[in-house]
Amino acid sequence: MWLQLNINFSFSSLLKGSLQKLPLSVAGLALMASFTTVNAEVEQDELGPRIEIPDSSGKSCVLPEDEIRRKHPDMLKHDRILTLREGVRAKADGNNLDGSLKQCINCHAIKDDNDQYVRIDNDKHFCVSCHKYAAVTIDCFQCHRDIPEGSSNFHALSGHKNTDFSSVTPGSYGLTVKDMANIAPEVSSDDK
Amino acid sequence: MTSKIEKEDLSRRNFVFGSIAAAGLTVAPGVMLYQTANARDLSKPVSSKVRWGMLIDTTKDVDWNKCVEACVKEHGLGNEEHSRADQRTQYIRVVDVKNKTTGYSMSLPVMCQHCEKPPCVDVCPTGASMKREDGIVLVDRHRCIGCRYCMMACPYKARSFVHETLTDQKTTTPRGKGCVESCNMCVNRVDNGQLPACVEVSEGAIVFGDLNDPESDISRLLAKHGGKQIRADLKLNPGVQYQGI
Repeated sequence: MWLQLNINFSFSSLLKGSLQKLPLSVAGLALMASFTTVNAEVEQDELGPRIEIPDSSGKSCVLPEDEIRRKHPDMLKHDRILTLREGVRAKADGNNLDGSLKQCINCHAIKDDNDQYVRIDNDKHFCVSCHKYAAVTIDCFQCHRDIPEGSSNFHALSGHKNTDFSSVTPGSYGLTVKDMANIAPEVSSDDK
Repeated sequence: MTSKIEKEDLSRRNFVFGSIAAAGLTVAPGVMLYQTANARDLSKPVSSKVRWGMLIDTTKDVDWNKCVEACVKEHGLGNEEHSRADQRTQYIRVVDVKNKTTGYSMSLPVMCQHCEKPPCVDVCPTGASMKREDGIVLVDRHRCIGCRYCMMACPYKARSFVHETLTDQKTTTPRGKGCVESCNMCVNRVDNGQLPACVEVSEGAIVFGDLNDPESDISRLLAKHGGKQIRADLKLNPGVQYQGI
């Protein structure tokens, strides 16, 4: 009887003790596991897909990368008011305004495997690639053109970057006057 | 070139198609483009010293549909797929009028008349309908909520509403669903020292220029022959004036 009781007691105390200790050890293990997961190679899977930011062909943007990422909405908004409502279409030095959406598109247009520019409904589109990731819904492209216009193929960043346009004269290479206007910096503000 | 002609070139206000400057445009297009591109300092806001206007000579035997076509091409209009014909955007309409007693008939292009006191701007609840300092009336689509109050207010029926999603807009004329739009006097071309598209193809029947400059061709023509405004009784003082109506 005593023995039986003793055994019962010791067994129940053992059971009780292990029940108390088990959750702690499990929690500790889980905690360690989570630390190792964050530090491990599989990090990207937990954070979601990685954005592939398209290469800018070596030319720098109007601002350093970290600044343009933060400031571009304000710049676009600021310069759209300047251009549309006040008629300012260039900076004092004659170059395009920094917040020119046309210029963004001209530099950052992405081509697909068939050498065609991708439209705004394609995840590879420069603007979409980030905005979709960040769940930002913008309606710029309900009105604005999402790819460069015709002769903008001649923009220095879009596959013709090694071409020297300084020696090109109107009429040669099948270029039209409008193409030349695009190439010439002084009239490249907002005309095609 | 004689010194007189050079002086005209330098004034950079000679916008009359068929004039000496415009002849230069056709002879040496590339060169002229750069010269006229400096028409004003593009880094400065437009000034109210200039007021752009058009003088349309309806007595000239011109196919106004050519102007409409040029307008459509310039602004990339006509890409609506689902809208009815009466819903599609028109920047310029060709209006045929006939005097029933005499049988005399004529047609004239009617676009936004770029009023000095535009009723569309008065009624706009968001400030989207606006007049630029140089007299060009246009819609700031960033602010337009598509209420169409301006369409009701306009006595010239100059404005259109975009009813459907558009793609393939022109870079120079962003336009899209839910916004009102109208003739903007080819503001992108004017800023670069070019003529509006309709003026360029009008064979001299439309003269474009600065109404505030007494030396400009449009002012000289108006001083010599006068011009008529449509519904002048409304005292809106449109920048678009007509001869022969």
